[in-house]
Amino acid sequence: MELYELNLRSAAEGLKSKKFSAVELFDACLARTEACEPHVAALITKTEELGRQQAKESDERRAKGEACGPLEGVPVILKDILCTQGVRTTAASRILGDWRPPYDATSWALLRKAGAVLLGKANMDEFAMGGSCEKSAFGPTHNPHDLTRVPGGSSGGSAAATAAAYAPFSLGTDTGGSIRQPAAYCGVYGFKPTYGMVSRYGLISYGSSLDQVGPFARTVEDLHLIMSILSQYDPMDSSCFREKTYDFTPREGGLRGKKAALVKEFQDFTLEAPIADAMKRVRKTLEEAGAEIIEVSLPVIARYAVACYYALAMSEAHTNLERYDGVRYGYTVQDAKGIKEMFEEVRTAGFGEEVKRRIIAGTCLTEPKRSEEYYVAATKVRTLIAQEFAKAFEGADFILQPASPTLAPKIGASDADKMKEYEADLYTLPVNLAGLPGLSFFTGYSDSGLPIGLQLIGPRWSDAGLLNAGLVLEERLGSPKIAGGGL
Amino acid sequence: MKLSGDEVREIAQESRLALTDKELEGAVRYINDFLDMLDRFRELDLSGVEPFNFAETISCPLRDDVHTPFDNRDAILDESAHVEADYFKVPRIMEG
Repeated sequence: MELYELNLRSAAEGLKSKKFSAVELFDACLARTEACEPHVAALITKTEELGRQQAKESDERRAKGEACGPLEGVPVILKDILCTQGVRTTAASRILGDWRPPYDATSWALLRKAGAVLLGKANMDEFAMGGSCEKSAFGPTHNPHDLTRVPGGSSGGSAAATAAAYAPFSLGTDTGGSIRQPAAYCGVYGFKPTYGMVSRYGLISYGSSLDQVGPFARTVEDLHLIMSILSQYDPMDSSCFREKTYDFTPREGGLRGKKAALVKEFQDFTLEAPIADAMKRVRKTLEEAGAEIIEVSLPVIARYAVACYYALAMSEAHTNLERYDGVRYGYTVQDAKGIKEMFEEVRTAGFGEEVKRRIIAGTCLTEPKRSEEYYVAATKVRTLIAQEFAKAFEGADFILQPASPTLAPKIGASDADKMKEYEADLYTLPVNLAGLPGLSFFTGYSDSGLPIGLQLIGPRWSDAGLLNAGLVLEERLGSPKIAGGGL
Repeated sequence: MKLSGDEVREIAQESRLALTDKELEGAVRYINDFLDMLDRFRELDLSGVEPFNFAETISCPLRDDVHTPFDNRDAILDESAHVEADYFKVPRIMEG
């Protein structure tokens, strides 16, 4: 077995028992990255010098017998929406130019403190607005299982890099499915934590009430380890709330006597055959593992969640993206006639098409004459959606549903009808509206060799229980293979 | 159609975005399709429904109001192409 093939736990154990050094592991992962990258294009920035230096320092700490963190010497890839001090951070937008943040995102600071070393920053849809990783100012990322297909999005680069074993794990962010859908398309495990479980400080904002940082890995157990590090209270994020600490020690046997629900209204919607088959297969697996299958009814979610989500996400995006004016950082112009002209020139040239569209829509919805009818109404519909989930979870421990109605689509095949494209997010975005945790898990491969992922969601703060259920599913359904990455 | 081309252009200008005629055409279609989707809200009785809040954050969690200097000021200024004498410099705001 090559070093780059190791999952997170094996890599951390190998380093601890000095079977190999952090520099050796880093170089193996970097060589794998450099071999696949011309085909997959998962990264915006490779941090070979910084990462090797961090790996060297890790080896020195270990040699001196200094205290080592649980990720000591393990390489990681971060979605390029997480701030890394002194390392270019772009959100895949031209408007951030070569911005080098003056501070670290808390999520990266926690990983670094635990010993992780940075291998690179991953491609994504610009400002996380998209589900295919094609809407990046740096060009599209390719699915490492089939280069003609998308890796999903918006955290497509992080998912593709983990699937092709650039690194044992990566971080992404999930505003409406941006971890769970690419995890399913790329055949890795992806976890969207409860809103408030992981600090968003240093995450470049899209929809602040929906955004959440979370991990990708090739085993569920690795997700446990990453979550044990990320789930810390952070005074820099007012939503990062804590009544207690959460125990992410992996525990098997998480399904016996549990109630797993299927959504009644979703059963009328069309799924591609491999997804529909996987739903049946996993239902049986859950039963065999001792879970009871029940049905829940989510009529408000089925009909209104997509409209509610996009109304809120665009309104929040319009506000969050007001800060890009070319004065303090990023892309700019010289000698503008006046300040309005400067802002307009910078924003018109700096933002991509989808981002502009969403800013204009968000501005429209929040104008005083329309806000009651659209924005305020959406905040009320959101209350109904959260209440509907809460009621469903009174009788159910988990809900099983697809992460996407399709397998990874072909590059360039995105729907010309934008509203139809948005409707495809129905399976992921209600989770963000209610701030719930969601696990995207691998179930097997289609006849054409594409991974098939599904999603298990739970009530707020049930993150550890959800991951424990994931352990059982992984044991029974099998773990994913490393993707070819075009080689 | 809920919004005309002129109205959408005006909204774009408020967002400090300039649109070509072709982009405007696409934006008008997009916004109107989107507003049609949002019309679904009218089917619901929202009277008496409160706007959403996470149960845990009904009261605003506040940090202690303590002055904490940022120790990497130069790194912030280094990122701007419009710095003069340690200040950000913007084009003229007032006419005349």
